[in-house]
Amino acid sequence: MHRNKQIAIILPDTLQSLGLYSLLNEYFPPVEVNLFPSFDVFCAGGNDLFDYYFVQPETFTFNTDFFLPRRSKTIILTDGIEEMRCQQSLNHLMTKASQETIIEQLQQYLVTDTPNTSSGDNNKELSSRETDVLQLIAYGITNKEIADKLNISLNTVLTHRKNITAKLGIKTVSGLTFYAIMNGIVSGEEF
Amino acid sequence: MALVYPNMQLSEVVQEHPSLIPVINRFEIRLGLGDRSVSAICNEYTLDTDFFLTVINTFLNEEYFPEKKLRTFHTSQIIDYLTKTNQYYQRYQLPNIERHLGSFISMSTPGNNTLNLIGKFFSSFKEELTTRIRKDEQVWFPYCLSLSEKLHSGPKEELLLNSSQPEEDTIEELLADLKSIMIKHLSGEYDENLCYAVIFAVSSLEKDIKQHNRIRYRILMPMVSAMEKLCI
Repeated sequence: MHRNKQIAIILPDTLQSLGLYSLLNEYFPPVEVNLFPSFDVFCAGGNDLFDYYFVQPETFTFNTDFFLPRRSKTIILTDGIEEMRCQQSLNHLMTKASQETIIEQLQQYLVTDTPNTSSGDNNKELSSRETDVLQLIAYGITNKEIADKLNISLNTVLTHRKNITAKLGIKTVSGLTFYAIMNGIVSGEEF
Repeated sequence: MALVYPNMQLSEVVQEHPSLIPVINRFEIRLGLGDRSVSAICNEYTLDTDFFLTVINTFLNEEYFPEKKLRTFHTSQIIDYLTKTNQYYQRYQLPNIERHLGSFISMSTPGNNTLNLIGKFFSSFKEELTTRIRKDEQVWFPYCLSLSEKLHSGPKEELLLNSSQPEEDTIEELLADLKSIMIKHLSGEYDENLCYAVIFAVSSLEKDIKQHNRIRYRILMPMVSAMEKLCI
């Protein structure tokens, strides 16, 4: 699983923060949004590992040391167009735009840089080792016995199982057995 | 999602969320609700309005789960509700899925072996759920009730409850797998419409069981272990 996007909202206006908070949670889950009323409170938190920062223009200007190196991750809330013109290279969010436009803008910043799938590994095919493990699972053999049979450690068996589940979207032994029969990894007659 | 309150018309709530119909049936409330408010209907059926609303609201909102409040209800109320959900699975939802699954398998191409396997997979799920229900009825629920009777005189607030998260629940996992298998791994010719009917029925059972399990693991179990400590 991908780690959730970590987002910091550093805004003195509570309603604005909450509005942004609910838009992010509603339209771009899974996200983990933290609210900070000021830059000082934010600094006191001591965490600078956020994927995105939402700030006011003032906060940005007074703390360029912090934000300039992170400008690709920083989104500045503006209520006019003029400011935007002079700082083309910065990300802006127009607070007075319609909800539709705001969501489109957020989408542009939040969605483009993540790969189009939630599971990092695009290769859905089972490796031959995973197939071996799946076959033994389907025969009802315990993890410990699988480890002995394949001459691998118990931990490796567990890792294989985790990967099999992630690739197939199937968790239970009955489900995995079903998949194994369906794909001829074991023959159905014994079941 | 907005919560339901005592002064609201139950018919309007149900109109908006028809999935509540089986839930209100568990409280013996039947349709033909007229325009009476939730509290009027609860009075009429001598139901605890607070408990009724808590159940309905947790059912409608996945994020809403007032643990503290739920634990102030009487053990017998909670067990009564869980028993009724069990009966509903056994009498209606399982047979309903079976019926859909039966026609899905027979109406699709007879040669499609995958579908027969799905049928078998469902049978093993059904076996698992039926066993759990039997144990609930014969062993666990009577045990919980006897504990609560023993403590009947004692003050209830003294129950020290710690909410331990349950380990994974096989029943939920099997249902999730059944859905995932049909959605991700179905192959060969099949009847689309009947397939959707099966998935829809499985989904609604899955949702209901998730609610049941929340109450089971996060309310009843901590209540029971707290009562056990007091009984020693």
